[in-house]
Amino acid sequence: MSRILLADDDVELTEMLSQYLGGEGFAVESAHDGEAALAKARHGGFDLMVLDVMMPGKSGFDVLRELRASSLLPVLMLTARDEDVDSIVGLELGADDYLPKPCNPRVLVARIRAILRRAPSAENAVAGGSPAVLVLGDLEMHAGTRRVTCGGRPVAMTSTEYSVLEVLLREAGHVVSKADLSERALGRKLTRYDRSLDMHVSSLRRKLGPLSGGEERIKTVRGVGYQYTRP
Amino acid sequence: MHRLFWKIFLSFWVALVLFAAATMFSASQYLEHTRQQEEAAGPRERLQQRVVEAQHIADRAGIEGLKAWLRDIDRRELVPVLLLDRDGQDLLGRAVPTPVTERLAREATRPWHGPFRPRMRALIHLADGQEFRLVPDYQAVTLGRVIARPRVIALPLILAALASGLVCFLLARYLTAPLDRLRRATERYATGDLGTRVAPTLGTRRDEVAELARAFDHMAQRLQELMGSQRQLLSDVSHELRSPLARLQVALGLARQRTDGRAAAEFDRIERETERLNELIGQLLSLARLESGVTVAAREPVDLAELLTNVAGDADFEARATHRRVEIADVAPVTIQGDARLLQSALENIVRNAVRYTAEETAVTLSLEPESGKPDTWRITIHDHGPGVPEAMLPRLFEPFVRVGDARDRASGGYGLGLAIAQRAVRLHGGEVSAHNEPAGGFSIVIRLPATPGTR
Repeated sequence: MSRILLADDDVELTEMLSQYLGGEGFAVESAHDGEAALAKARHGGFDLMVLDVMMPGKSGFDVLRELRASSLLPVLMLTARDEDVDSIVGLELGADDYLPKPCNPRVLVARIRAILRRAPSAENAVAGGSPAVLVLGDLEMHAGTRRVTCGGRPVAMTSTEYSVLEVLLREAGHVVSKADLSERALGRKLTRYDRSLDMHVSSLRRKLGPLSGGEERIKTVRGVGYQYTRP
Repeated sequence: MHRLFWKIFLSFWVALVLFAAATMFSASQYLEHTRQQEEAAGPRERLQQRVVEAQHIADRAGIEGLKAWLRDIDRRELVPVLLLDRDGQDLLGRAVPTPVTERLAREATRPWHGPFRPRMRALIHLADGQEFRLVPDYQAVTLGRVIARPRVIALPLILAALASGLVCFLLARYLTAPLDRLRRATERYATGDLGTRVAPTLGTRRDEVAELARAFDHMAQRLQELMGSQRQLLSDVSHELRSPLARLQVALGLARQRTDGRAAAEFDRIERETERLNELIGQLLSLARLESGVTVAAREPVDLAELLTNVAGDADFEARATHRRVEIADVAPVTIQGDARLLQSALENIVRNAVRYTAEETAVTLSLEPESGKPDTWRITIHDHGPGVPEAMLPRLFEPFVRVGDARDRASGGYGLGLAIAQRAVRLHGGEVSAHNEPAGGFSIVIRLPATPGTR
């Protein structure tokens, strides 16, 4: 059973949402302010955190920033509906996905499931997963442990970044359309003005750096999609 | 108080006085100089020189030479010289002043004596026996004559003009430089840089312009505060209205879980209405935001053709469910500066509206062309085959919550905010939206957008 940490200052909402998510087969624990959320998340034992941006005291962004310093726990941000910037900031800080609030709980569950599918679950780790190791140039992806090394140096990345990179790497040398990438890596249809992919790709670029020849590792093909450069 | 007034007053005064003084000084200087010259040589000696010179010319070049010599003196010298024949007529036919005529008459009746004797020698003899008397015409020395000979006072005049010009130039620059700064600050403010202040850039100035700058800063400060508090209010309202909605949605989800599919139709209905309410809150807030906006916040290159194609594609997909279509007629490749998201929502609102009203089995047509006669302006036309709008309603169409023909509107579920939002969004891009009933039937909305939303 996947364990979910629900961080939102609206007590009534978290109570109902806990019940709802419980009904969908998740074990839910909630935190009502940033400090508590951070403490619980750091303590471990969760598969995913649903994090509200607007919290008094330590905001969702602060929590995410501090969390990412030490943990790759998948995070789904709940952002204010009218603040497009929030989603971009959230993704930049390393959120796996975002959902404007108020949201339909069914959509929330679908997003949670999509992220969890990408994350290395406990069962996967125990079974050793598929032994496949994806190697291209200086980049190695260990599918089982979902670890990535670049030039022998381990690169920490969120499970969403891993999924995006995996799809691009499997199609290295070919252009992957945004719609395709969204469905295969994020597990959902591309919606208009969804900046998620752009943000994930840009953080991948930042983490991996350019190819040894100085060439851009992941190229943007304007109006079409992305392409991992085959060395 | 009124420091600027005194500055202007005194500067102009000083400049004028300087100029007048310089002119008078140079004129008197010149007259003095001429007089001194006359005195230095002694009028008689100078006259003697002239006579010798004249006689020399008369001997060499005759009467014509004398005429040329006279004209030359007339042009060059301040004091002209007259050459009078026996009848007292000037060789060049110039008017002879009365005092000269009178003196000559006196001399003619009296024998020469004493101090006047040298004048007897002021006679020029020509080869043919003609005699001319040479008389300097001091009466002719007037200010007009001085001014008519620019060579004489050109240099001092130019210097005076340059000096006063410099004073005026410095004054003008001193006056307009801070005004220019104020204008630039106002423009910056209008583009949304609410932190702009002018007074600190004016240093220690303490005049009307500085006061104006301080007044501007005060206004800027006040506006910034007001806009800040309005933004805060909007975000509070948004949060306060949406928190219950968020709870409502989760409660609805719980109810669905617990009733196991019973009352699903009702729950669907509740969900739909909740979404609608959510959307309406969003629209209200974005309208309020647009109304308070000064100009477009985000300016990036927007591919209008791509935007139009995307909107048409999505709207077509939606429209086909109700047996309508959305088609693209002409699309010119155009990129403008603006906020893609705002423009998209403006277009979507208008196209959705058109789809709602166009008759079944007809198409809404979108086109994008350059505005005729106006370079750098683009025209987007959204044409539907609907019943149109009563002419009297056309100007009110872009007001919030306006309804045209109640029954049909309620059936189509319009909120009456879409067009208002669209208009505000287009206006923030420096454009305009207008609505027309087409003579050939149908109804069209025309968006005119400048390529760069300049500050108007």
